[in-house]
Amino acid sequence: MDVVLEADRLGKRYGSTWALRDCSLHLPAGRIAALVGPNGAGKSTLLHLAVGLLKPDAGVVRVFGRSPYGDTEGLADIGFVAQDTPLYRDFTAAELVIAGGKLNKRWDAALARQRLAQLGIPPDRPVGKLSGGQRAQVALALALAKQPRLLLLDEPVASLDPLARREFLQSLMGSVADSGTTVLLSSHLLADLERVCDYLIVLNSAQVQLTGAVDDLVAEHRQLVGPRHDGGTIGGVAAVVRASHTDRQSTLLVRTDGPVTDPGWTVREVSLEDVVLAYLADGTTQTSHSEWGVPA
Amino acid sequence: MIWLTWRQHRKQAFYTLLGLAALAALLVPIGLAMRNTFGDLGLTDCASQLARADVAQATRETCETGYRRFGDRYDSLNLVAVLLITLPALVGLFWGAPLVAREVEQGTHRFVWTQGVGRTRWALVKFGLVGAGVLVLATVYGLGMSWWVDPLTKAAYEGRLGMIVFDLQGIVPIGYTLFAVALGVFAGTVWKRMLPAMGITLAGYIGVRAAVELLARPRYQPARTQTFSIEGEGPPEVSRGDWVLAQGIRNPDGTVISEGGRIQCPPGGKGPDGRVCGAELGLEPGAYNWQLYQPADRFWLFQGIETGIFVALALLLLYIAVRRLRRIA
Amino acid sequence: MIEFVLDSRSKVNTYMQLVQQVKQALRVGLLSPGDQLPKVRDVAQSLAINPNTVLKAYRELEIEGLVGGRPGVGTFVQRTLAGASLPNQAELREDLVAWLHRAQAAGLTAEDVVALVETTLRATLADDAPQKEPA
Repeated sequence: MDVVLEADRLGKRYGSTWALRDCSLHLPAGRIAALVGPNGAGKSTLLHLAVGLLKPDAGVVRVFGRSPYGDTEGLADIGFVAQDTPLYRDFTAAELVIAGGKLNKRWDAALARQRLAQLGIPPDRPVGKLSGGQRAQVALALALAKQPRLLLLDEPVASLDPLARREFLQSLMGSVADSGTTVLLSSHLLADLERVCDYLIVLNSAQVQLTGAVDDLVAEHRQLVGPRHDGGTIGGVAAVVRASHTDRQSTLLVRTDGPVTDPGWTVREVSLEDVVLAYLADGTTQTSHSEWGVPA
Repeated sequence: MIWLTWRQHRKQAFYTLLGLAALAALLVPIGLAMRNTFGDLGLTDCASQLARADVAQATRETCETGYRRFGDRYDSLNLVAVLLITLPALVGLFWGAPLVAREVEQGTHRFVWTQGVGRTRWALVKFGLVGAGVLVLATVYGLGMSWWVDPLTKAAYEGRLGMIVFDLQGIVPIGYTLFAVALGVFAGTVWKRMLPAMGITLAGYIGVRAAVELLARPRYQPARTQTFSIEGEGPPEVSRGDWVLAQGIRNPDGTVISEGGRIQCPPGGKGPDGRVCGAELGLEPGAYNWQLYQPADRFWLFQGIETGIFVALALLLLYIAVRRLRRIA
Repeated sequence: MIEFVLDSRSKVNTYMQLVQQVKQALRVGLLSPGDQLPKVRDVAQSLAINPNTVLKAYRELEIEGLVGGRPGVGTFVQRTLAGASLPNQAELREDLVAWLHRAQAAGLTAEDVVALVETTLRATLADDAPQKEPA
């Protein structure tokens, strides 16, 4: 299994606050990975580290085995669309395609023009006057014209209306099917990406909460409902991710390492969203309790 | 990269040239008129004549009168000259400050720095091209101003070393402009927003310029002192073109009697009532006028030193700016 | 050529929905041997889903022997599910309609009917159908 991106105990600090800490993960080639977490969880920081905009303060990040910070040659293999798809607003889409050609050694201008033509983007209007959806499509076309082996997208659909969001994901999926590019795209909403991703990285409070292939994650998590649970071990359960209790009953979301055979528990399958929410909720309350200085 | 820089700044370059042309259209006729008046008043040869030691009293008086009449007519232009000094600062504000700040403010640095061009090269090409453009601009401005301000300079006592006219002409505008642009770029890497960066650039420019002008410039070379008698015929003799830093009247033992002034007594040093000239001030016999000054022929030396200071500051600021860029994400 | 539609409210996996739609089309005769399935790229683009999901669905169908991939050309139907059941469907449907009228006469609402059918289906077919395939 080829690893496209790997991080080992990666950390980035702004002043005394860690924006990302002890981040260890790897992204296999050919995946479309969702980087999910609430705003401020460190998603942008991770992507900026991966594209070499930031220098790690701890640990390492490698893309195709190279450290991206200051590595101009390595940039050729990475396509990046930053949050809010920043482009020179007074440039036309056609001029941006030319600019890309001047800035990159490998550049498929024909591909970019064809994509933009198919999407009906006017070539001679300043991109600042295009709709948000069109601008996002221009940014995507520019990123793809680099023919990258890894495509990093920072909140690409967050600011788009539902229709533009769907159109963006459609054209992204179409081109990924053509090129086989590995994709890592972030969102604060899993729902946006649930259909497109087959790999998941959940970030919360600067730390990786969960990472793995979507199928595996869904397969190894279960919801258990049973009599009030006192914290003892349950056969087949590796860890309790989240628990809620009434005075008689406990509902647990657990990671399993085998079949749960205890007849006292009703075992249900969970959706990806259930899993993600369980991990996110976990992190939030822990942080909040420690910040308020009260026992969790 | 060159194409990108040109495409990004062509509109700005166009407006700058337009502004320069408008300025020229305004100033060239004034300059020509000044020159005509200067000639009509017979002042063209005064500078060389007055410089001679054996200048005739009559010539001197004619020249002084001419200078005064010229001054009466055109002194108000010194105000215009003050306004013209601000032009390098404007270049720094509108060319320097947005160079990095606008990219970061609009997020486009994340686009351009993640293409196949490293940000250091991006910075070098961009700073280099804008710097070269500014250099040409400043040279044209400096030469133009040298021509324009020449009659005003000649008519003023301080000559080319005078406070405002020194800053306008020669090669110092190049140093100032490069410094202003570099300061703008640097401010952009620190504050990362256009308006704060522009504000800081303006404040910083004024501060550094004032500090250099008031504190450093008079000390580029040890100032000379000159003494001359308080007795003499006709109007007081003045040293044209020298930059007088301090002057006063001293007693023979060196104590300063009156600071900032000078006196001229009739030959013999006696007032009409027979008292010693200036006795009411406390002057003793043998008192003399004294001045501390930078001689006029140091003009180019001073221009060179001042330009060097500002170019060095500009390079330092750009170096720090490039280093700071590496930490912006 | 068929067109896939996704039910966004369904809890069923996206890839499973694709498999089911192909099978459904095979069962009712919309697809027959030799027909081409939509290209992976086109499905991924039009539904805005991961191409790997489409590949996975096609692979599943391949394993079941329903379709076969021809490299560089596409995926083609090899076997139909309509088979013998197709001609029988009309007759069974008539029986069902008659039964539904009786249920209505007995005072069952549409929801009661669905609940009855589902529980009966589960109870009756639980033993002989390990892989459940809601139609």
